[in-house]
Amino acid sequence: MTANTTDTGRRGGADRGRTGLLLLTSVILAGCEGQQSALAPSGEDARVLGNLFWVMLGGAVILWLLVNGLFFYVTRINRAALSRRFANGLIVGGGVIFPTIVLGGLLTYGLSIMPDQRAPGDGLTLRVTGEQWWWRVEYWPEGAETPIVAANEIRLPAGERSEIRLDSARVIHSFWIPSLGGKMDMFPGRETRMSLKPEVAGRWRGQCAEFCGASHALMAFEVVAMPPDDFNAWLQAQAAPATSPTTDAARRGARIFAREGCGACHAVRGTGARGAVGPDLTHVGSRLSLGAGTLTTTLADFERWIAHTGAIKPEVEMPGYGHLGAAELADLAQYLKGLE
Amino acid sequence: MSDTDQTGPTGPYPPTADMLAEPVPQGEQDRTAAELRAAWAPPTGWRYFTAVNNSEVGLWYALTAFGFMLLAGVLALVMRLQLALPDNDLISADRFNQFFTMHGSAMMFLFAVPMFEAIAILILPAFLGGRDMPFPRLSAFGFWCFVIGGVFVMGSLLFDAAPTAGWFMYPPLATQDEGPGSDIWLLGLSFIEIASIAAAVELIVGALKCRPPGMRVNIMPLYAWYVLVVGGMILFAFPPLIAGDFLFELERSFDWPFFDPTRGGDPMLWQHLFWIFGHPEVYIVFLPSIAIAAMVIPTVARRPIVGYSWIVLSAVGTGFLSFGLWVHHMFTTGLPNISLGFFSAASEAVVIPTGIQLFAFAATLIAGRVKMSLPMLWIAGALAIFTAGGLTGVMLAIAPFNWQVHDSYFIVAHLHYTLFGGMVFPVIAGVYYFFPFIRKKMLSERLGRWAFWLIFTGFNVTFLPMHLTGLLGMPRRIFTYPEASGWGWLNMISTLGAFVIAAGFVVFVWDLLRSKGSQTQVPRNPWDAGTLEWSHDVPEEYWGARSIPHITSRYPLWDDPDLVARMDAGRYYLPDSPHGHRETLVTSVIDASPELAQRVTGPTWITLWAAAFTGGAFIFPTFHMYPPAIVSGAFAVVCILYWLWTSTARPPEHGMRDAGLGLRLPTYASGPKAVGWWAVWITMLGDATAFASVVFGFFFYWTAKPDFPPEGAMHAAPALVGLAVLVLALSWALTLGARHWNGAGRVGAARGALVAAPLLAAGGCAALIASVQALEPASHVYPAIIWALMIWVVAHAMVGIIMQLYCLAGSVSGKLTPRHDADLWNVTLFWHFLCLTVLVAGAVIGLAPGVL
Amino acid sequence: MSDEHRPDPDEERREFREERESLWRITLAPATWVAHFVASYGVVAVTCAKAPDLLGAARLGLGLFTLVALAIILWLGWRAWRQWDVRNTGDYTNALGEAEDRHQFLGHAAVLLALISAIGVVYGTLPVVMLETCR
Repeated sequence: MTANTTDTGRRGGADRGRTGLLLLTSVILAGCEGQQSALAPSGEDARVLGNLFWVMLGGAVILWLLVNGLFFYVTRINRAALSRRFANGLIVGGGVIFPTIVLGGLLTYGLSIMPDQRAPGDGLTLRVTGEQWWWRVEYWPEGAETPIVAANEIRLPAGERSEIRLDSARVIHSFWIPSLGGKMDMFPGRETRMSLKPEVAGRWRGQCAEFCGASHALMAFEVVAMPPDDFNAWLQAQAAPATSPTTDAARRGARIFAREGCGACHAVRGTGARGAVGPDLTHVGSRLSLGAGTLTTTLADFERWIAHTGAIKPEVEMPGYGHLGAAELADLAQYLKGLE
Repeated sequence: MSDTDQTGPTGPYPPTADMLAEPVPQGEQDRTAAELRAAWAPPTGWRYFTAVNNSEVGLWYALTAFGFMLLAGVLALVMRLQLALPDNDLISADRFNQFFTMHGSAMMFLFAVPMFEAIAILILPAFLGGRDMPFPRLSAFGFWCFVIGGVFVMGSLLFDAAPTAGWFMYPPLATQDEGPGSDIWLLGLSFIEIASIAAAVELIVGALKCRPPGMRVNIMPLYAWYVLVVGGMILFAFPPLIAGDFLFELERSFDWPFFDPTRGGDPMLWQHLFWIFGHPEVYIVFLPSIAIAAMVIPTVARRPIVGYSWIVLSAVGTGFLSFGLWVHHMFTTGLPNISLGFFSAASEAVVIPTGIQLFAFAATLIAGRVKMSLPMLWIAGALAIFTAGGLTGVMLAIAPFNWQVHDSYFIVAHLHYTLFGGMVFPVIAGVYYFFPFIRKKMLSERLGRWAFWLIFTGFNVTFLPMHLTGLLGMPRRIFTYPEASGWGWLNMISTLGAFVIAAGFVVFVWDLLRSKGSQTQVPRNPWDAGTLEWSHDVPEEYWGARSIPHITSRYPLWDDPDLVARMDAGRYYLPDSPHGHRETLVTSVIDASPELAQRVTGPTWITLWAAAFTGGAFIFPTFHMYPPAIVSGAFAVVCILYWLWTSTARPPEHGMRDAGLGLRLPTYASGPKAVGWWAVWITMLGDATAFASVVFGFFFYWTAKPDFPPEGAMHAAPALVGLAVLVLALSWALTLGARHWNGAGRVGAARGALVAAPLLAAGGCAALIASVQALEPASHVYPAIIWALMIWVVAHAMVGIIMQLYCLAGSVSGKLTPRHDADLWNVTLFWHFLCLTVLVAGAVIGLAPGVL
Repeated sequence: MSDEHRPDPDEERREFREERESLWRITLAPATWVAHFVASYGVVAVTCAKAPDLLGAARLGLGLFTLVALAIILWLGWRAWRQWDVRNTGDYTNALGEAEDRHQFLGHAAVLLALISAIGVVYGTLPVVMLETCR
C-alpha cells in the first residue's frame, strides 16, 4: 500500500467522524420536532424503549470503534508480527468471555422490560380494525355495551393506560404510533392486543407498518391525547348522532350524498346512511385528517378527495366522483365538513 | 480375484518421500498431459454451451447472478429517485411495489444464494486440487434452471406483471393478489430453490468426498468447511419454503384455504415457514462470503490462520444457532413474550460465534506480518460495515426495541449493513483476489481503489441516515411520504449516496469487462498464497489439476516447496487419461484416503433440455395452462431418465485403474462408497425436511386454532389409509429384497421383486387417493392439509415407482448387475425415506384426528 | 482401504483409525441445544394456546430440562476435552496431516461447540426464568 492511500484512509476516517457528529446533532434536533418519532417519546412505553435505544447505541458505538480500531491498528499502523499469545487471548477474551457477559446482561435488561410493555389497560378499550387502507376505530369505555364508532383517528386519555385490541378485515396491517410505543400487527381472524399510555396531552401521527397493498404508504392516522375530562367530553360528543346541515349548501350536499348512494358504504348516524364498508362519517368534519392521514379536512381537500379518490390513493375501493360538477362537489364538501 | 471383482484400492498409500522424489520421464509427462488435455478439452463453437465443466458453469453462474444483481440495483436506484422528494410521483404505487418486491427477491434468490453456489462451483475443486465437481451435469442443470427461472421472474417486470406483495409474499395479501404476479414469484422461485438444493448436494458431496488424498478434515481449507456448513443449512432451510410454496400454490390454484382465516387457515403458518427459511438464508449468504475473507486474510498476514478450530466452531455453531432466530422477524405478531424471549436469546447467542470469527481474523493479522493488498482493502471495508450491521442486529434482537423499529427504515439500514458488509464487499474482495486464478489476468489496482472508495462512501451516505429515518418513524415499503413528516432531507441524502454506489459499480464493472489483452501474463501465485488453487496453470488448462497431489498440511504451497513442480510433472495421482475419460478422485470422508477413480460426465445438451422442460413444468401453471405443464413435466422426466441411463453408474470397461504412485483404484462403486449414494442421501434429507414442514403445518393448525380438526369433520377412511400404508411398506420391503437378492446373485428373484414392488406401490397410491375422496379440500383447512399430505406421498411414490422400473430395466438390459448395483442401492435409499414418509403421513391422516 | 495394505499399523495408529471418528459427533452438543430450544418453544406454544394455567408447571419442567441439557453438554464437552488432550500435547493448532492431529482437532472443535451450546442453553433459559405469563 502506498503512503498516499493510507492518508486517504485516514482522511476518510476523519470525514466519517465529522459526519457522525453532525448526524448526532441532527438526531437530537430532529428528534425534538418529529410527530412520528421514536426519539421524541411522549408515552411511557416509548420512553422506556427510547432509553433502551440510547444505552444500546452508546455501547454499539464504543464497540464499533474498538473492533475497527483494532483492525485499523494491525493493518495500517503496526503491521509487524505481534504476540501470538495476545492474539490467542483476544479470541478467548474478545470472542467469548466479553460478549457472553455483555449480551447476557443486555438480554436480561431487554427481557425485564417486556412485561410492562404489554400491561393490561386501566379502563378504556379501543378496538382498531385495519382496512385497505384506513382504520376502523371503536371506543369501548369501561362497562359499555355498544361501541362508539369512529375512523382514522385515535384519541386517548392522557396519563391513563388504554387497552387496544387489534384485528383486520382482509390482509395484515401493523399499528404503530412511534411517539407512544412499539407496534403490533393486525391479522384477519386473529385478535392481537397492546396498550399505550400517553404521559402528556399532545398530537402525534401513527402509520401502518406492515406492507398491505398498493396504498400502504397512505394508511396513517392522527393521534391525540387529551386530559381525561376533555377526553370524556369528546367521547360523549362522538357518541351523539350527526348534526343536521345548517346551511343551504350543506343541505344540498346532504341530498347529493343520498342521491349518489354514499350511504351504501358510509354511515352517518341519525340519517339513512348506514353503510359499514367504508369509514363512519358521523363526525368526519371534526377529524384532523381525511383519507387516513393523507389530506387535511379543509373544504378544498374534501372536494379533491371526492373527485379524485383513486388518483390520491391508488387502488382504493371508493370510486371517484369526478363526474359531479364543481358546484355539487362544493356542496358535498360543505355537508361533510359540517358533520362535526 | 479378477480385475472387475476388486472393490478396494491396492498398492502403497500414503506415498513415501522417495516415491515422490522420483522424477517422471519427460516423454511420459508429455504423453499423459496430451491425454488429459484431450479428455478435458472444452467444446467449441456453438457447442460451447454444452459445457458442464465447473470452470465454465461456475463462471456463467457467477456472471448471470451478477447481472441479476445489477438489474436489481437499477430497480433500487429508481426507487431511491421516487423517494428523493416527498409526495413524488415519478413512478406509480403499483410499479414501486413491483420494484421493491423484485429488488428483494432478485437480490436474495437471483444474486446472493446463486452467487455462493457459483463461486463455490468455480473454486471449490481448485481448493481441493480436484478436477471438477462430482456431478458436473447436475451443476449445469442447476445453472440452466436458474437462468430460465431468473429470466422468467425478472422478465415479468417488462410486462408490468411482476409480483407486488413483497419478497416475503405474506398471505392473505399475496394469496388474494389478482393477476399472475404471486404465481410468477412462487413457481419461478421454487424452480430456482430446487436448483439451489441441487447445488448444495453437489457442494456437500464435493467437500466430503472429493478432497485430495491426505487432506484430513483438520487440514481442509476453511472455505471447504464453510461450504459444508452452508450446504447443510440449505438442506434444512430451503425445504420449509418449498413446502410453504407448495401449500401457497395449492391455495392460489385450487382455493385450498391454508392461509385463509375464514376457512380455518392461518396466515401465520406462512410466516413461520418463510422465516424458518429466511433467517438461515441470511447466514447462508453471509458464511460463504466470510469464508472468502478466511482465505484472503492468511495470505495478507503471510501466516496460517490463527484459531482454525475456532473458525470451524464458529461456522458450525452459527449454522445451528441460525435456525433459532426466525421469529425475530415476527416479534410484532403478538406471540407470547416468553416465546419471543427464546428467539431473542438465540439471536444474541449467535453473535458469539460470529464475533469469534472476526476475532480470529484479527488475531491472524496480529500474529502475522501484514502485507496490504486490494482484496484486503475490500475485506477491511466489509468488516467496518458488517460490524455496524452486527451491532444494530444485537439491538434488534432485543424484542421490545424491535417492536419500535420493526418494518421501519432502521431495518432497511440494518439489513443492508449486514448484507453489504457480510456479502457484497467480501465477494468483491474475492473477485479481486481470485480474478488472476479465473481469467489469468489482474484487475486494475487504481480502478479497484476508485471503486472501493466510491462504493464504501456511497454506501454509508445512503444507509447510515436510514437508521435515523426509521427512528423518526418512516415505515418500509412506502412509495411516498408527506412533506410534513420531515423525512425529506434524509431521503435526499440517501438517494444521492445511492448514485455514488452506482458510480462505484460502474467503475468495477468496467474494470471487470474491459479488454486486458495487452497485459503481461499474470504470475502463477500473485499473492504468495498457500492454498492449492494457486497451483493453477498459466496459461489456462481445463483439466483442473495436472495431477492430484497428496496433501499433508493446511497451506501446502507454503509448506511443500516441491509440490507444484511435482503436480506439473504428473508425479501425483491420476496424471493421465488412458481411455479418454474425465475422472476425478474420490476419497474417504474423514481422512481423505483414496477410494475410487470416479468417472465424471462431459459436455451434453441433455441438461439444457431437461432444464427447459422442467422450466415449462413450472412456468405453464403460472398462467393456469395445466396440460402443457404436464406434457412439459413428462418430457423433463424423460430427459432426466435419458441423462441418468446414458451417463451414470454404467458398468466400466476396466474395473481397476492405475492411479499413479503404484496405487490401483476401482472405477466403480455402489452403496456408501459411491458419490451418487451420498447425493441421494443428502437430497432425501432435504426432502424429509420439506415433508416435516407440511406435517408441522398440520400441528400448527392444531395449536393455533381451537377447532382443529373442526367438530363433525369428515376424516380420511381409516381402513383405506391403513391398507395404503401396508402396501407401500411392502413395496419398500420388496425393493430392499431386490437389492439383497441381486447382490447375492439371485437376479431372477430380484427382477420378480422389482415387478411386484411398483404394482404394490401403485395400489398403495390408489388406496390413499381413495381414502380422502369424501373430503372437500376447498371447504376447510383440515381436509385441505390432508389432501396436501396425500399428494405429497403419492407424488413421491410415483417417483419411487419410476425408480423401481428403472432398476428393472437396468437389470434386464445388463446395466445393473450383481456387482454393478449402484442404482439399486440409491433407489433403496430413496425408498427408506419414502417408507418413513408413508408411515408418518399415515399416522397423521389416519390416527391424529382420533388422538387430538 | 483395507488393513493389509497399510505399512504395519501400530497400536497408537489403530487408536486414531478413521473408522472410529465421525463428523456427526461434533454436532451432538449443538443438537442438544436444538432439542432444548425446540422443547422450550414447543412446550410454551402449546401450553399458552391450550392451557395457559399450566404455564407455571411448564416453566418448572423446562427449568429441569435445562439442567438435563446442560449436564449432557457438560458430559460431551468433557469427553471432547479428553479427546483434544491439550494438557498432554500442548498443541492448540492440530495443523498436521496426521491421524492423531485430526483426532485431537475433532476433540477441540467439539469442546468449543459444547461451550457455545452451553451458552445458548443458558441464554434460552432466561425467558423461562424471567417471564411469568403468556401475555
